[in-house]
Amino acid sequence: MLYTNYLISAWRNIFKHPLFSAINIFGLAIGLTSCILIALFVRDEISYDSFWQKAENIYRTHITFSVPGRDPMYIAMAPGPIMHALKRDYPQVEYATRISIQEPTIIVDNQYFVDFITLADPEFTEIFELNVISGDVSQALNSTSSIILNETLAQKYFGQGNAVGQTLTIDFDIFKKDYVVAAVIEDMRKNSMVQAEAIIAIDEPAWIDQPYMFDAWFSTNSQLFFTVPSGTSIDSLANTLPDFVNRNFPKLPFGGEDIKTSDMISMEFMNIQDLHLNGNSDGEYHETGNKNTVIVFATVAALILFIAAINFMNLSTARASSRAKEVSLRKVMGASRKDLIIQFLGESILLTLMGMLIALTLVELALPVYNDALGKELGINYGSNDLLYIFGLATIVGILGGAYPAFILSHFRPAETLKANKSAETKASVKLRYALVILQFSVSIALFVSTAVVYGQMLYAKNKDLGYNKENVLAVKEIYRDVVLEKLDLLVDEIERMPGAIAVSWSNFMPGNSNNNNTIVHTEGQSTEDGILLGSRTIGYNYFSTYEIPLIAGRDYVRGRDRAVMTDDLRAGNFYTGSLVVNESALGRLNLGTAEEAIGKVVYVGAGQPEENLTATYEIIGVVPDIHFDSLKLTIRPEIYDLEPEYGSVLSARFNGDPNVFVEQVKQLWEQQIPSIPFDYDFITDAVAKQYNAEQGQANMFAAFSGLAILIACLGLYGLASFTADRRTKEIGIRKVMGASVFDVVKLLVWQFSKPVLIANLIAWPVSYYAMSIWLENFVYRIEAFFIIGFCLIAGIAALLIAWGTVASNSMRVASANPVKALRYE
Amino acid sequence: MLKLQDLTKAYRTDEVETVALNNVNIEIEHGEFVAIMGPSGCGKSTLLNIVGMLDTPTSGHYFFNGEDVAGYSESQLGVIRKQHIGFIFQSFNLIDELSVFENIELALLYHDIPASERKERVAAVMDKVGIAHRAKHMPSQLSGGQQQRVAVARAVVGNQSMILADEPTGNLDTAHGQEVMEMLQKLNEEGTTIVMVTHSPSHADYARRTINLLDGHVVTESMRA
Ligand SMILES: Nc1ncnc2c1ncn2[C@@H]1O[C@H](COP(=O)(O)OP(=O)(O)O)[C@@H](O)[C@H]1O
Ligand SMILES: [Mg+2]
Repeated sequence: MLYTNYLISAWRNIFKHPLFSAINIFGLAIGLTSCILIALFVRDEISYDSFWQKAENIYRTHITFSVPGRDPMYIAMAPGPIMHALKRDYPQVEYATRISIQEPTIIVDNQYFVDFITLADPEFTEIFELNVISGDVSQALNSTSSIILNETLAQKYFGQGNAVGQTLTIDFDIFKKDYVVAAVIEDMRKNSMVQAEAIIAIDEPAWIDQPYMFDAWFSTNSQLFFTVPSGTSIDSLANTLPDFVNRNFPKLPFGGEDIKTSDMISMEFMNIQDLHLNGNSDGEYHETGNKNTVIVFATVAALILFIAAINFMNLSTARASSRAKEVSLRKVMGASRKDLIIQFLGESILLTLMGMLIALTLVELALPVYNDALGKELGINYGSNDLLYIFGLATIVGILGGAYPAFILSHFRPAETLKANKSAETKASVKLRYALVILQFSVSIALFVSTAVVYGQMLYAKNKDLGYNKENVLAVKEIYRDVVLEKLDLLVDEIERMPGAIAVSWSNFMPGNSNNNNTIVHTEGQSTEDGILLGSRTIGYNYFSTYEIPLIAGRDYVRGRDRAVMTDDLRAGNFYTGSLVVNESALGRLNLGTAEEAIGKVVYVGAGQPEENLTATYEIIGVVPDIHFDSLKLTIRPEIYDLEPEYGSVLSARFNGDPNVFVEQVKQLWEQQIPSIPFDYDFITDAVAKQYNAEQGQANMFAAFSGLAILIACLGLYGLASFTADRRTKEIGIRKVMGASVFDVVKLLVWQFSKPVLIANLIAWPVSYYAMSIWLENFVYRIEAFFIIGFCLIAGIAALLIAWGTVASNSMRVASANPVKALRYE
Repeated sequence: MLKLQDLTKAYRTDEVETVALNNVNIEIEHGEFVAIMGPSGCGKSTLLNIVGMLDTPTSGHYFFNGEDVAGYSESQLGVIRKQHIGFIFQSFNLIDELSVFENIELALLYHDIPASERKERVAAVMDKVGIAHRAKHMPSQLSGGQQQRVAVARAVVGNQSMILADEPTGNLDTAHGQEVMEMLQKLNEEGTTIVMVTHSPSHADYARRTINLLDGHVVTESMRA
């Protein structure tokens, strides 16, 4: 009975004070919405690969090359032969598989497709459970002519019918072979760093002409996963890795006699569940997450909820005095303090639950956009415990926000509060409210500053001069296939002749994508052992002029004038001197003096596989500045640019005029010349921007949530301002009678709310300066820390303006009211 | 000093029109002490508010020192008001959050008077009404009579030439009421014009002239010899 009474009273109270209730419910709804959305993101990020049965015991092997004078090269891959050595040396290793993802041409019924094919060892199926729809996966990888397809690809190739038993052909360029579909599996889960659409066995003999794929110790072209029995100490295994490296790796071809292999090469095991958040982009097949991002967002979620809970507390305590009479009457009627606390807590929980219902609606509305921005498929699973968690969250917020007001309200003494004309509020509760407003705005301002820094850094990175002109360059991809390379000269010629074409070249890398090819270079008078490891890229003729890179000295590669050194010639004992362009850093590392002095000097460059001990001789014909071909997250390597007339993976064409018209011409040419491979292109500007896609998404998300946090804080301020203005009408009336103008009064009220915002700035500035200057240290190329001070000032002014805007309307209303009205009824 | 001519005030709320003052004609000279009497709701406060320029008449003229202020805007009125008119209310209308000193100082705050001079003038007026020892107290710590003395001090600290008092003794016991009346009398003797609303005939006797209102009309005016 009593509880029905509480419920009725709570319900009535909610509607009796619509503004108060609306602000509370809406603020909570926004807070809970943000919190749920962020929680979905965080849950997805930390859930990666935890669903495998053996998750606790699946590890991946990583390699770090630490070469003196170079940044350590950390690679999420391992050289192919390591797997065999690992299984031989460590009986603890139960199952092991390499995973290499290739993008060959697939031919089904004379139709051509280009798709990702996963190459794996037979034990792949022992480590990773595949959900079989039809066929049998257990023996599939024991045969070198079987293929496992996921549902999507099976349908793409064979339509609705059963794909098992059907045949398709895969053309890897190096070999072309038929495969029989052994099984169709469900598409793999998205929250995994192991994604396979089609799986075939690694057939080492078939790749023998490309030993770097699976057989070279100094090349990494596959990831290596293995399992150990439960209870195995991975640390004690990892401790023996230096010995393992020294025992198994061939002697390093440089660095001298005293250098142990383990000094430069180290191995590391990482549990599969840690890969997503701790992985490194180099050598990953799938996009990694970032542990810091997850922590930051979890914090933001907590802060937003905190701000919403503060609104709740503040508005409730502010309103408390107007409810003093109700409390006193209930007490006179025999209500105990506990009864009242239960009543008021119940009220706040009721409000939060209403907020929660709105929040669930908002979440469902926001999810499509949110998923799009994050590239995920997040959602609330209403069948699972999700709803329970959300209910729990709402209840906790209700209790947190309602406990203090309930305590305050239930404290009123009837004797005091029933006597009119006495402010029921204690000084302490006024002070607390003030402190909480300061806290809210500190958090909002800090979030504002952080957002500005994140954006500022991103804009800086996007607009940084990369050393080349990325505008108006079309990049044609997929040219590394034999069918394209055969026609490379023809393509270049034809494109150069097109209207709008300015220059055309090719390379074995795409600007904006990282490249980790390295080679040993030594100068005259040195031995190979003394050589240094330099980054190496291959390019075609006119590459630097195509990208409008001014040479510091010398010249670009010119057709007919410059000669490339072909590895096969070296193998055949046919030696001659080729041309070479190096960057400024490489010049410094090679000690070749100034750029002008370096021109004409001879250097020796390792060729083929290290074991082959082949050395090519080059004369330096050009020196270019250090160019950001890689991500800005990396320092520029010392690099050589090797001429490669017959090979490339990307063809670059600088053009002017309408990009669409130009692309259309190139596309027509491609389709006419290479009908078997789909035309695939990108603009360099877009390719470079793509590096920041994840950052852009996260920055947008960060900005959105910061904005929401500020919005919630403003809602609270608005409620508090309207409450205060109402409470101060008498005072304002008196002041106006005493001669205060409307402006005087507005100034008074606005100042009342400016003070906490100003104090909030004093708290937020040092905190955000400190935090964001640490964050910036993650970037090699970053904005100056003093920009943060500017952002602080802007945030401070913005917060003040927002606070003013929020309270101004109320203040104006109260200030322009006729004072007689305020003083009339006492 | 002031002259009301055919002054009418009507309140319009939800299509119901209340005529609070109907064709009122009153003239008050400098240095007068006028009492306004009449039953509740007859328009006394309305009259005082218009005289005090807190409200504007619906029609008619209001000459203040020869100037017709009837059509003036709120801010124009505010300028005249803060220079010439002080107020005393039945319910004191002190600001709870300010001390006695600050409450009195409020009347000078909006006058561009330097802080040091404000301090002097507030101190002097507190002496005059005998609450100097309570300067730092909050209104809630004072008795009703003391609060009203603060209100009187606040009404005169700006050297206002006219004080409007709306039932200044209505919330006070006999002894305290007497005190406030004596204070007003003293101010009047010093030259301040006083217009006071009261229900108490004995307090009205302090005034030299009494105006009786009924339903918005002036019914009688009497002068004491
Ligand atoms: N702001 C207002 N709105 C509507 N009616 C009002 C307002 N102020 C006063 N009145 C009405 O005008 C009449 C005179 O009021 P008032 O001057 O306060 O009377 P008194 O002070 O003599 O008791 C009353 O009928 C009152 O209800
Ligand atoms: Mg009245």
